[in-house]
Amino acid sequence: MFLFILKRLAQIVPVILGVTLVVFLIMQMVPGDSAVILAGEGASKETVEELRENLGLNKPLHEQYLSYIGNVFQGDFGNSLKNNQPVLDEILIRLPITMELAFFSILITIVLGLIAGIISAIRPYSFSDIGVMVVALLGISLPSFWLGLLLMYVFSIKLQWLPVAGWDSAAHIILPAITLGAGGAAIVARMTRSSMLEVVGQDYVRTARAKGLKEHVIIYKHALRNALIPVITVVGLQFGSLLGGTVLVESVFAINGIGRMIVDAIRTRDIPMVQGGVLIASLVFVFVNLLVDIMYRVFNKRIDLN
Amino acid sequence: MTVNASLVVDTAELLLARRQVRSEKRKAFFSAIGQNKAAVVGGIIILLYISMTFLAPILAPYDPYEINLKDKLQSPSVDHWMGTDDKGRDILSRILYGSRLSLGVGFSSVFFGASIGIILGLVAGYYGKWIDTIISRCLDVMLAFPGILLALAIISALGPSLINVTVAVGVFSIPLFARIVRGSTMEVKQLEYIDAIRTLGANDFIIIFRHIFPNILSPIIVQGTMRLATAILSAAGLSFLGLGAQPPSPEWGAMLSSGRDFIFSAPYMAIFPGLMISILVLGFNLFGDGLRDALDPRMKK
Amino acid sequence: MKNEIVLEVKNLKTHFISKKGIAKAVDGIDFVLRRGETLGIVGESGCGKSMTSLSILRLIPSPPGKIVDGEILLNGKDLVKMSNEELRKIRGNQISMIFQEPMTSLNPVIPVGEQIAEALRLHQGLSKRQAWDKSVEMIGLVGIPSPEKRAKQEPFQLSGGMRQRIMIAMALACTPEVLIADEPTTALDVTIQAQILEIMKDLQKKIGMGIIFITHDLGVVAEMCDQVGVMYAGQIVEHQNSATLFKNPLHPYTQGLIGSLPKLYEDQEELQIIEGTVPSPYDYPDGCRFAERCPFAQKMCIEKQPELIQYDEDMKVRCWKYTNQWQEESSSREMVTQ
Repeated sequence: MFLFILKRLAQIVPVILGVTLVVFLIMQMVPGDSAVILAGEGASKETVEELRENLGLNKPLHEQYLSYIGNVFQGDFGNSLKNNQPVLDEILIRLPITMELAFFSILITIVLGLIAGIISAIRPYSFSDIGVMVVALLGISLPSFWLGLLLMYVFSIKLQWLPVAGWDSAAHIILPAITLGAGGAAIVARMTRSSMLEVVGQDYVRTARAKGLKEHVIIYKHALRNALIPVITVVGLQFGSLLGGTVLVESVFAINGIGRMIVDAIRTRDIPMVQGGVLIASLVFVFVNLLVDIMYRVFNKRIDLN
Repeated sequence: MTVNASLVVDTAELLLARRQVRSEKRKAFFSAIGQNKAAVVGGIIILLYISMTFLAPILAPYDPYEINLKDKLQSPSVDHWMGTDDKGRDILSRILYGSRLSLGVGFSSVFFGASIGIILGLVAGYYGKWIDTIISRCLDVMLAFPGILLALAIISALGPSLINVTVAVGVFSIPLFARIVRGSTMEVKQLEYIDAIRTLGANDFIIIFRHIFPNILSPIIVQGTMRLATAILSAAGLSFLGLGAQPPSPEWGAMLSSGRDFIFSAPYMAIFPGLMISILVLGFNLFGDGLRDALDPRMKK
Repeated sequence: MKNEIVLEVKNLKTHFISKKGIAKAVDGIDFVLRRGETLGIVGESGCGKSMTSLSILRLIPSPPGKIVDGEILLNGKDLVKMSNEELRKIRGNQISMIFQEPMTSLNPVIPVGEQIAEALRLHQGLSKRQAWDKSVEMIGLVGIPSPEKRAKQEPFQLSGGMRQRIMIAMALACTPEVLIADEPTTALDVTIQAQILEIMKDLQKKIGMGIIFITHDLGVVAEMCDQVGVMYAGQIVEHQNSATLFKNPLHPYTQGLIGSLPKLYEDQEELQIIEGTVPSPYDYPDGCRFAERCPFAQKMCIEKQPELIQYDEDMKVRCWKYTNQWQEESSSREMVTQ
């Protein structure tokens, strides 16, 4: 197991480097000169030149890249072009917020999705099954930002049960988390259902029944444990689109997370911010994937021996 | 090299038999799809939307760009079935014309992403070894960006516009197709009849395109359909953020964005575009589900 | 002199209803199982033998399948009419079942010891510790070395033969009165097969249970079974002591089966076969179901279905040839050809 973790970590390193390279190169493609923007309107040519020297913009590309990586490892993501404050500071403020949102959303995805999927699978083709599956189909079809707006309209504006935007109290988390988690819940529900249906037809479930085990033991102890295995993979995959989805949901609900930070930075052409935000988000994603992978192995020791 | 005559005859018979099997498969496939009610509904929805793109000029009662400030923010009525927006433009007309943008971006981005992805996947799967390793690593890097973040990064470089959204969404679709094609190619490559074709002197190019490719079509088509749904959602999302279609474009995501500012007073401004997107995506999902069931029930995983 | 009857099946009918029609997989089966005895049910694939065994414990997949008629009496109580809850208490407890595929019949994610122990906790009310210990004991009983170690392992860590032994241990843990074995050795190597059969016979002697042994392998029948029922197209066509069956098969189908076995001491140019194919369970003929393929078939065979009659002590057969009516017809025929 330890060896496996080591091996995977080794595999991740080139990917991380690749990500930094892509982020770096893409930012190079942004038209406009950082120095000019930073110097501001009406700055003299000398000031701009000086700034360029300071920022190292005159060095060849690969040198710039290397110094960029070097800085990143030391925690220096450069300074925002808007206010010349370290990007890292902003990230550190916003990252926990996004992580909170992501956490509650995944909770909804898993809990709602599993419950819905199990309800469906226990009585296939019944009203509850069809009902759940129809809702799940809607869940994967509705744009998250539209769902967010709708929920906001119904619950915050018309019914006034929940606050409209912001991130100050527990009540603020509810609508965004539901919005973000709904799509994933739908996918998990569908996956759980099909996995359960397949498992329930297996020989070992028949054996369990032939032993006279009670129905709920058969479902939860024997069937579900096997059915859940592919679902774990799906949940892992969902985390990616969830993280990406924070961009939209944070914008709808005016939440000060990393997603919104990146979007605002793109609009204002604040390159270091965009770089920093995308890089951090990707790093988080890569490490979460690794964690999910390890968890999957733990649940599924059989693969190790193969 | 001398070619064994009987081997040629056998292979010819094989190819002929294959053609017959294929046409039978095609018939079976269409009947399977026809029986799946959900798939038929999905297909009809898609066709309706496509016809909307063509018929927009005929169906739209007003000019989608015409500003008419005295009529602004009217609720849906007989004159304006979907109401008017904050600049007095008829929402229905804008929706109809907007279909061209959403569907256009959807199809072109997927086409773009699929083409590149398929080629990369074929090459990686067929040649294997270090080509595969390089391509796979690149795909890994692309997949390391969560969700639409890669598309966001690309837009930040290219600037906000609908065309750039198309490119960005296309690029971010590449790894999906490449992965699937790579996997299928590696499976098909092992089949014995590929060796038979090779002994007849076919070069790599022919093998890849005339023999391997047709066999891996079904997962590509199913994924392609599902991907269309995601692409349309992503493109709308990017426009919603202001990074795609710019005003006064009637693109649905952009309409949602402006509708958001008026959600208190005129909720229908946001409801209709979102509804249109949802139904279209629903159609693709239904159709894709049906396709997948018809082509290979095993693929449900 | 004879042991008492533990299980009696009367006129069991299990049908499957689908778009294609009604498949009469089990169509009027009668037999009796006594304590300490092994009853073999033989037949080719599709004759309904597996469905018969599944019907006894009501394990038939229930949307398409249904027990439409008959009684299954366990010590006099009818299992068909029993409530689900009562039946559940009997499964794995008084009647146990083992299946053909040991590879897929055990839960892949639960240690095998636990799979045995849970039945013990449920049916015999043992504590976790007691059940585990008994489970380890059972594993040792079926001939698996280092049972304490094996009990903690998951099925993929065991060989096919070992998995089948685990199945047996699981089935016998609660000392059932009846063991239903559905082709338990078909998926195993011949050498392992012999070992498994040994274990079953051994444990049967110890516990005194009745075994219903489903198989298509006549060799296994000869070795394991006291009584044999031959099934064809959903019905029992012959029922005899296994000793007499091989010496004197009555039904033309049984004769065909035994005749088709390659003979060790004779020179055979070709193997004997039975011409034709089994009729579809959706569409059985009105008359004798074997008539199409039977070398002795007469007009009456095609018109009317024969009943399962008692031909001699411990010999039952479903064939017009052994009835009074038959002799009449053939004698009248003789007179005509003369």
